Amino acid sequence: MKTTIALLIVLLVLGGCRRGPELVPEVVALKTDNLPASPGDSAWDRAPEHVARLLLQDLVEPRQMKATTQEVRVRALSDGAQVVFRLSWADDDLSDAPGPGKMVDACAVQIPAKLSAEPPAPQMGDDDGLVQVTYWRADWQAAVNGRGDSIKDLYPNAVVDHYPFDAQSLEKGSDAQKEMARRYAPARALGNLRAGPREKPVEDLIANGPGTLSPGPSLDSAGSGQHTRQGWAVQISRKLPEGLGGSERTQIAFAVWQGSEQESGARKMRTGWIPFVVRTAP
Amino acid sequence: MARVYNWQLGREMSYWYPESRPKRQFAAVFDTNKCIACQTCTLACKTTWTSGKGQEYMLWNNVETKPYGSYPLAYDLKLLEMLNSQQWEGEKYTGQTVFESAPAGERVLGWRPEQQDYAYPNVGEDDCANQVDTGALMKLPHMSWFFYLARICNHCSYPACLSSCPRGSIYKRQEDGIVLVDQNRCRGYQECVKGCPYKKVFFNPMTGTSEKCIACYPKIEQGIQPQCFVNCIGKIRLAGYISRPEQARADNPIDYLVHIKKVALPLFPQYGLEPNIYYIPPIHVPDNFNRQLFGPRATEAVKTYRNAFNDRDLAGLLCLFGSTERMVTRFTRQGDVITGIEDSGAAAVRIPMNEPVHIRPAQDPRNQLVRINCP
Ligand code: SF4
Ligand code: SF4
Repeated sequence: MKTTIALLIVLLVLGGCRRGPELVPEVVALKTDNLPASPGDSAWDRAPEHVARLLLQDLVEPRQMKATTQEVRVRALSDGAQVVFRLSWADDDLSDAPGPGKMVDACAVQIPAKLSAEPPAPQMGDDDGLVQVTYWRADWQAAVNGRGDSIKDLYPNAVVDHYPFDAQSLEKGSDAQKEMARRYAPARALGNLRAGPREKPVEDLIANGPGTLSPGPSLDSAGSGQHTRQGWAVQISRKLPEGLGGSERTQIAFAVWQGSEQESGARKMRTGWIPFVVRTAP
Repeated sequence: MARVYNWQLGREMSYWYPESRPKRQFAAVFDTNKCIACQTCTLACKTTWTSGKGQEYMLWNNVETKPYGSYPLAYDLKLLEMLNSQQWEGEKYTGQTVFESAPAGERVLGWRPEQQDYAYPNVGEDDCANQVDTGALMKLPHMSWFFYLARICNHCSYPACLSSCPRGSIYKRQEDGIVLVDQNRCRGYQECVKGCPYKKVFFNPMTGTSEKCIACYPKIEQGIQPQCFVNCIGKIRLAGYISRPEQARADNPIDYLVHIKKVALPLFPQYGLEPNIYYIPPIHVPDNFNRQLFGPRATEAVKTYRNAFNDRDLAGLLCLFGSTERMVTRFTRQGDVITGIEDSGAAAVRIPMNEPVHIRPAQDPRNQLVRINCP
């Protein structure tokens, strides 16, 4: 009888444990025909996982002085044209509304612009080597998920007397009305990409050193993030780096910002370079 | 950090970038004794520049009642506490500036207001420094006091906003020293909001960038004073350009008030930013309070101002405040007439120091009536 019970317990325990992903020492993008649509897609179950330890941004002021997010778990899949990453990290405090003194959750994937045996400096590249950065933000995700583009969407109790572009003399949606709205939104008027109403929650950037981040050529990027009590799971896709796909390897780095820890810009947790390869499924 | 010279501190100090002075520096003098807190300046700015989405809470210009008024809440007290002792030896500052006391890993000693700190734009309005006990109002001089402090961005010579930005998105214009946030380059890290001790940069949550007072540069480029100057009901403001102390010109209105008469003083010079809005301190406020706000020269400045009646040039120049919308870069006095002169050399305005007084008899024999004079 005792043996039967013990056997039952063992079977129950084994059956209850879902097999975790294969853990790998580098970032491996597994080849696949169908790319996942969201970070919760079952396609991710097959992808091996790399657990990247996060380090302090300690190169330039303002430095990150407090170790916050410990690690980011990274999986990757590729169909030969696009590569899709799934980043997940612990953060039980959702920060997706920007405001004075309020930062938002974010993450980024960084890859050298050119495959080379000697990659540029891991913290934003250097004079000799450009890096490509695909950056995702929680407030852009909220906008894509349907949050409106008004102050009332951020502060529901806000009371606004009047905006000049709401003047009765201006026909709604007319060019004159849009022009008036632009006048009071200088960053939008100048085409600052981070200032717009969002169509996607990611942005393609390039850098060749700290403080040089600027809009880059399109990497056909896309993204989607989901927050649960455990934290964030964010999917970021972009063009597969040129030349990658066979036996070649490149480097990759990640960064995570926690809004509730007042992290933004240089105040971030980041990794060093990690080898990155594309591998055919066994 | 580089070593730079800050004349307001009478010494060299550390700054993030080497000294690089603009060709000329926009500056202004505000006479606190004339401000009536009507907030016309605040609205003039608001309707001109910050009526958009995400700018609802922004006050590039604000007027606060001292000692309690502050926007954002306690912006001054918080930093004064963080900065510890702020010693002067004579006119030399021996304490530390916000750059010299930057904690490890930071560029500037600063703090970031929370959103609630912006919720009370006119907190402390008309509140006296002390309680007015029974009968106290009958005694003179009054022991209770308050005054109005009008504030805009100081377009500092060593801006903390500029040095806080890790992206170099803030710049100081070579032509006039006006400090601007490049709205194309800014990525909304809010480091400038944290760094500016005067809290004169504001984060716009709708565009995700930080915005600040632009000194109405499109007007200045045409030789016209900014909106908050030309709309000032109390005529407390005069805009112009300031020279370095050793190059001060007696016919430059700002130089004359700041360098020659030393009647107008920077706000919180101990922070080390060399701010370029200069204040004539209030004459009815305890000396130690004035000295904390305006530095050790405040005592003398109050004396000079009180004596302005006997100083024809000074009194005349004070009459120029609010008398023209043009930027006056030179002034002269002939007898009782003061002339404000523009860059081009043209006279912008000519005003008598004493306006003619007409006394009208109450009895009007022509119309056979008696007039009552209503003030
Ligand atoms: S007052 Fe503040 S915002 Fe203005 S220049 Fe100085 S540091 Fe910058
Ligand atoms: S308009 Fe002039 S008098 Fe009125 S509050 Fe502003 S600075 Fe003071």
